Amino acid sequence: MSILSAAPTEIYESGDSALRVVALAEASEDNWQTVHRLADWLESCGAEGLHGAVPTYDSVLVEFDPVLVSARQVRAFVKLGLLEMGRSGGAEAAPREFDVPVVYGGDYGPDLEKVAEYQGIPTEEVIRLHTEKTYTVRCLGAPAGSPMMDGPAFPKPVPRLKDPRLSVPAGAVAVAGRQAVIAPAVAPGGWCVIGQTPLTVLNIRREPLVPYKPGDILRFRRIEAEDFGSYVGRELEPRP
Amino acid sequence: MSGHILIQQPGNAVVTDLGRFRGPRFGLPVNGALDQYSARAANILAGNLDNDPLVEITALDFRMKAHSDILIAVTGAPLTLSVGGRPCSQWEPVSVRAGEMVSIRGINRGLRAYVAIHGSVEAPMLLGSCAPDTVVGFGLQLTEGTTLLTRRSVSPVRQPYFDLPLFRLGLERPNMGSELLVDVTDGPDVADFGDSSELLFTSEYAVSGRSNHIGLRLGGQLPERTSSGEVLSRGVPVGAVEVPSREELLVLHRGRGVTAGYPVLAVVTSSGLDVLAQARPDDKVHFRKTTVAEATAAHRRSRAQLETLRESVNTVFGLLGIGCRPQWQDLPVAACS
Repeated sequence: MSILSAAPTEIYESGDSALRVVALAEASEDNWQTVHRLADWLESCGAEGLHGAVPTYDSVLVEFDPVLVSARQVRAFVKLGLLEMGRSGGAEAAPREFDVPVVYGGDYGPDLEKVAEYQGIPTEEVIRLHTEKTYTVRCLGAPAGSPMMDGPAFPKPVPRLKDPRLSVPAGAVAVAGRQAVIAPAVAPGGWCVIGQTPLTVLNIRREPLVPYKPGDILRFRRIEAEDFGSYVGRELEPRP
Repeated sequence: MSGHILIQQPGNAVVTDLGRFRGPRFGLPVNGALDQYSARAANILAGNLDNDPLVEITALDFRMKAHSDILIAVTGAPLTLSVGGRPCSQWEPVSVRAGEMVSIRGINRGLRAYVAIHGSVEAPMLLGSCAPDTVVGFGLQLTEGTTLLTRRSVSPVRQPYFDLPLFRLGLERPNMGSELLVDVTDGPDVADFGDSSELLFTSEYAVSGRSNHIGLRLGGQLPERTSSGEVLSRGVPVGAVEVPSREELLVLHRGRGVTAGYPVLAVVTSSGLDVLAQARPDDKVHFRKTTVAEATAAHRRSRAQLETLRESVNTVFGLLGIGCRPQWQDLPVAACS
């Protein structure tokens, strides 16, 4: 990353133990880089009382212990971080690439036809659009470190389910709004599930628990339902 | 010397600590003891570090049998505590002899109780915390026959005169009842709700039975979002008050997913989260507006009380020869005397 200065930001109170920092640049890429670099800076600065930072697309939630630092002190700290970032430039590791095999439709992707119908395109076209793109992991989200990504180039944003499912299986490949995601663990969910990967994404006996981090690149590859079993038990790993 | 404890009636109990503070960065909720004040108090009363693993009991009766001499402290919701058949006090250190049964019954005001054991107990760790995470399937949920290993045991301590209670430490106990007053500060998206945001402070809300450690659902008059459009997923703080549906208010607690796409109307203060941790289904909740500065001051006052308690406990334990200073925590008891 060679960007020199941080995007303009606004800082909001979020209770007695957190602040929300929102980046306000025109370009979403600038905002994303700003909040992630700020989060990295806050993580590495070693300030007492800072629990950590949760960066997403255009914002970062900064959590702290209000006994050790005040919201006002953390706010000053965030401003310092934004300045420091501008001076130091970035030297992030090169992104790693992940190849994600997916069975689309049927029991593996119960919402594929609904998505196709809403978009007014055939299911084959939904699959084509979903597999043709390369995805940058924008952030790790709920549940369980899900890779949140900008969605495929569908004609329209995808509405969330009216009745969220109580249980979505691990490996579910889903879309909502203009976003795409893989579910690392079984959880309730309101996103449209269009497929499922047989690979294991989450491993709680390993740190980090999920193999990818923000900035890494994912690609989805279509496989047939009869091949699902041959992948089961394998972990999602970066390409060598 | 270490010891062990056998769980005989687990009820609904887990081993937890103050939370997985490194979790949110990796997409995991902080989790940990929902009533942080009571959990800290229990550990302090047992002569432990605040963040040591302890047992969190939710709603149901609980029994465990000590297989070595131990010292415990029980805090949180009011309940009936007995050790070896003798009635004992909550919010005080209690000596338990090998072979005695610890019985906890009758939680009916408040919801959660904490049992700390001097020397703490062994528990699996994930990202530096033993706090259970139901989404990734991690944590030590107690079942009948679970054995907890304590890191130290304590010789029986009895008051020699008439068996009077040994400790009178005078800690302020949280009020618990069916009417809860919960402090909140304005959320970062309060403007999205226009004038309807005031409803939060003029209405009474009822706690739904579908509430849990992830979030509480509250029925009542709902503020309405006046803005529209997709909200990008953002990190949400513990305590966030959201209006995701037309039926209920959602207040996120320590098990909350770290990102969400709903506007945040208000945020419950640290002290208010302890109050909500004790809310039972059908309890009534009133919200009161405060500022971040006032909330921080209130939280610091309550923590200062716990520091005073820690000093008293250290003094008393020192006089009785129980345990040792925290930096010697892992030495055998014999080495400290």
